[in-house]
Amino acid sequence: MTRRALWPAVLIALLLLAAGCGGGSSNKAGQTGGNVVQGGILRLGTTNYIDTLNPFAYIETQAANAFNMIFPQLVQYDYADGKYKIAGDLAKSWETSSDGKTWTFHLNSGGQWSDGQPITASDAAWTINTTVKFQNGPTAVLAGSVAHVTKAEAPDPTTLVIHYDSPVGNVLAALEQGWVLPQHAWEQYATGNGKGLKTYRPEEHLPMVTGGAYTLKKYEKKGTTVFIKDPHFYGPKSNVDAVALTYYTNADAMIADLKQNQLDWVDQVPFSAVNVVKKDPNLVVQTVPGFETTNITWNSNPRKPKNRELLNPQVKKALSECVDRDKIIDVVFSGYASKVENIVGDIAIDANKDLGPLEHNCADGNAILDSLGYKKGPDGIRVVPATTGQYAQPAHKMQYDIIIPTSLDFNGDREFDIVQQGFQEAGVKVTEKVGGDSSAAYALETDDNCDASKSIGYSHYDIAMWDWVGYVDPDFQLSVVTKDQWCSWSDTGWDNPEYDKLYDEQGTTVDPEKRKQIVYEMQKMVYDNFLYTQLVEEQLIDAHRKGWDGFNTALNAYSKTYYTQPHKVG
Amino acid sequence: MRGIDFVVKRVLFAIATVFVAITLNFVLFRAIPGDAIQALRCQHCTVQFKNALRKELGLDKSKWTQYRLYVQGLAHGDMGKSLRSQNPVTHELWPAIKNTIPMVALGYVFSIILGTITGVIAAWRRGTIVDRGSVGTALAFYSMPPQWLGLMIVLFLASAVGLPTSGIKDPSLGILGEPSLWTVVIDRLRHMVLPSLSIGLVLYGEYTLVVRSAMLETLGEDYVLTARAKGLSSWATVWKHAFRNALLPIVTLVAISLGFIIGGFITIEYVFSYPGIGLAIVEAIDQRDYPILQGAFLLLALAVIFFNLVADLLYFKLDPRVTT
Amino acid sequence: MTIVEAASAPEAPASVRAGVFRHVLGQPQAIVGLAVVSVFALVALLEPVLISGDPKEKVAAVFQAPSSAHLLGTDGGGADMLKLLAAGAQISLLVGFAAAVVSALIGGSFGLLAGFFGGKTDIVLMRITDYVLVIPDVPLMVVAAALFGRSITNIILIIGIIYWTTTARLIRAQVKSVRERVYVRRARALGAGNWRLIGKHVLPQVAPLLIANTVLLVAYAIFAEMFITFLGLGDPSLISWGRLIENAFTDDAVLNNAWWAIVPPGVCVMLVVLGSTLLGQAMEDTLNPRLRVGHLSVRRFRIRPVPRTEP
Repeated sequence: MTRRALWPAVLIALLLLAAGCGGGSSNKAGQTGGNVVQGGILRLGTTNYIDTLNPFAYIETQAANAFNMIFPQLVQYDYADGKYKIAGDLAKSWETSSDGKTWTFHLNSGGQWSDGQPITASDAAWTINTTVKFQNGPTAVLAGSVAHVTKAEAPDPTTLVIHYDSPVGNVLAALEQGWVLPQHAWEQYATGNGKGLKTYRPEEHLPMVTGGAYTLKKYEKKGTTVFIKDPHFYGPKSNVDAVALTYYTNADAMIADLKQNQLDWVDQVPFSAVNVVKKDPNLVVQTVPGFETTNITWNSNPRKPKNRELLNPQVKKALSECVDRDKIIDVVFSGYASKVENIVGDIAIDANKDLGPLEHNCADGNAILDSLGYKKGPDGIRVVPATTGQYAQPAHKMQYDIIIPTSLDFNGDREFDIVQQGFQEAGVKVTEKVGGDSSAAYALETDDNCDASKSIGYSHYDIAMWDWVGYVDPDFQLSVVTKDQWCSWSDTGWDNPEYDKLYDEQGTTVDPEKRKQIVYEMQKMVYDNFLYTQLVEEQLIDAHRKGWDGFNTALNAYSKTYYTQPHKVG
Repeated sequence: MRGIDFVVKRVLFAIATVFVAITLNFVLFRAIPGDAIQALRCQHCTVQFKNALRKELGLDKSKWTQYRLYVQGLAHGDMGKSLRSQNPVTHELWPAIKNTIPMVALGYVFSIILGTITGVIAAWRRGTIVDRGSVGTALAFYSMPPQWLGLMIVLFLASAVGLPTSGIKDPSLGILGEPSLWTVVIDRLRHMVLPSLSIGLVLYGEYTLVVRSAMLETLGEDYVLTARAKGLSSWATVWKHAFRNALLPIVTLVAISLGFIIGGFITIEYVFSYPGIGLAIVEAIDQRDYPILQGAFLLLALAVIFFNLVADLLYFKLDPRVTT
Repeated sequence: MTIVEAASAPEAPASVRAGVFRHVLGQPQAIVGLAVVSVFALVALLEPVLISGDPKEKVAAVFQAPSSAHLLGTDGGGADMLKLLAAGAQISLLVGFAAAVVSALIGGSFGLLAGFFGGKTDIVLMRITDYVLVIPDVPLMVVAAALFGRSITNIILIIGIIYWTTTARLIRAQVKSVRERVYVRRARALGAGNWRLIGKHVLPQVAPLLIANTVLLVAYAIFAEMFITFLGLGDPSLISWGRLIENAFTDDAVLNNAWWAIVPPGVCVMLVVLGSTLLGQAMEDTLNPRLRVGHLSVRRFRIRPVPRTEP
């Protein structure tokens, strides 16, 4: 699963701000009775693979999970009482200067790299400075973690000072995306233009130097990767002796292996399999809400040459009203999803829950289209009358292609079918256009010659259906509709200077309450303009065998404890 | 002398076909709208980056120069780089080839043995219920889509026999400590059985039919009748005379049907998540990784051309009367 | 390439050909084949009458076992399997027949021209045929579909353009023998032009064989469509049997133990392939007994007629 939003630079932090009520199954780590039994091997099955062990070159989410296991982070997330909050990892505590431009971190001492060298603040300072130095080139993947950083210093082995060029609202959330690398092993690659940092493949030169809760014993890209408990870890040590992570191309086979006791744990159960897993008396299913939001993405480029009626929020609203979201939840997600309206997802900090809700009311949708004068032709398809002016277009039928990427972790074809049925009721004909994996589908949206500086791009596609991974901090999700993200993360092609100004403002607003006001306003703008029709918010479902406990589904991709806490029950 | 002529002719034809395959490969992948680079998407895939990559791959040069470079590269074993991983295509495909060959070979051998046996028996017992039964079964398997047969095996057979239906290795193998060679071999074999069986069953029906009709033809010929008249038992006649003569079309067919195996194993590997060339093709399709797709196609074409040549030469060896 | 040359077709003027078809239908396997194919063709043609509404419409819970309301249960989207199968018959047979006709047109023309004109034309055309014959067709099809595919017309064309080679060889051999027949030679001596000879004398003689061959090709084309669709390269808006099997695979039907979502589409394909193979073979055998051995061996993925020595 190469989900677009999980590409590296934006791994700001998967927000699974689950309320305890979600999902209906037990979700509290280590509270279901039985004693903690140390040791053993935790066999984990996944459908995501670790593409590389170089943090400057990774693409896949599972690689980020592996880095969490084998490298220190300054901070990570904790999850308790249905809320995420920043917790320490290598850093024990931190403070910020009164002007908000200098952050000081106090680090755990006593940690050592797998080759015996001590883990110190200068490793952290070197990693940050190197990332900053090459952030427009080889280290761009991690540039987001050091946004606005001017310099990092290590006055002593356990103190790290980071200087910023302006007060930044989400320093800790940003730093959570980065890892601390061993300077003595990596600095040889940071010479010249730094290209060596990106091309280095530690997996081809094992053993590699690690410094997290695990060392890496064996790496197979499309097979089994083995992590061994590191006894020198500075933090709470792993309960199990080893974690063996096996990649499956076929979720069906993975679930079968879990049922047959070839695996102890599966980190993501496909929606089509969840009912089967639930029925198995030897398996425990855990869910957290808000894993991803799925949407209808509308090309909102104001300079779009064709089918410009789709720029009209009224038209988009009318069509959206014809989509039966309950049916989507039922058929596509086996019930493991809920409706969502705002762009950031209900689980994000400062999610604006006053928007909508948009009801399923196709009669109203049809009335809107009628009132706009888009009459149905004899074939039942509405016709848009000719327009004049700068972007004049002739009279044409309302029929469009919808791009569906193949890399979704749910059945996109079925979601399309339901949307298609809805649109048909409104007198609009849509056809599925297979988008390929994330890269290929993006290319279809932005055009090949996309150039933000000349405002070229987003001129061919009309509609897509995709998803975004949820985040704790709304910053990233709000950024994807800015002009700055044209030809990059933007999939709507929207260009609204007023919105972009608000985006910059929230980034440097340190007062949480003030920031919230701005963030609310931004969400409302996105909602009112129908850049996306938000459909549903999916849950993340994992499953483990009885005889194990201590799993905290919500911390997937957020914390070392996601791997260190699971244990056998005695 | 005609013999050498024939061999030379067949070899030259094979070489010519290789060039046709290479050219076809080149033309097909350059005929798509735009180029492979256009479909590329990453954080730094700006217009400038893409142009640089085009230059690196020589896509800015004339088509003829590109073709020359492509052939030159191939001559040095250079099939280009994967767009996705940036690793050389050969580097990416080699492990897949190593996985595919034993699995396909196993299925192939299985189908030949089963097909020959059932074919001979059917011919020997011509017109009986045994004949009709084996021909009917053979026709049924022959008409099954390979991927569907694979799914049937997963659905109805796998759990009954307790064999794995996915991948190539037990995930818990060798987590701590190195497993013995014996354990590794057994584990590998266990993972190969079901996909191999699928390939074998898909193919065997065809062999049954061919062996049967080749046998029937020779069984009707004069020398077989003579052998019978001489008092040889019916089984001895079948074995000694008829089968030896029927071997000719069988050998040819066996070598030639490799082309079909190649069709079948792509989907069968997909069904069993068996990490071979077929699965590599499926992934490359999804990721629009054209160099990988191109490389895989060329490798398969080379394999088929090679086995066709082998079939021709074998045929010639068995029956020098052959004409071109 | 070693191959059947100058197969001796019966010297049959038009009046006898009617007898050929009667003879074909005298064979039980041909009748069975014809019956099976006809039933499916009928279902495909009557689909709009038999099925009301969108076959993809959700009618019950997903993967519901067969019941009196839904005789074959429901698929991973809660749609009625029986309706889906009927809809699938339409697309699968459409692709099968259309692609077979494309193949027959290309292969027929190649064979006719090569066999009739002989000489350089023959060498060039057969050389092309030989090359295409050796390139592995399924991978080529997959690559072509990945690069150009996804619409049903493209898929039909891709299959048709790849599967014509054996037809070309077969027709060429037949044409060569027809060309030498007494009445053809007489017509030529009387001054008939080439195209007139082809149209009036040669084509009617090879047409039955071409038709028989087309029937066989239908089976291969349906197979080919399944390959393409199973790899996710089919037209996403259409339901074919291949699509149903792909859906079952991606919806984890195996895990859900929903055999009713997997077994029926495969059985349908099997029956149609079997039917058209039986029928096509019976026709070819009757029309050209010398080819019998060769064509028993045909799953036309990469088989050529078994070579013979020249008498």
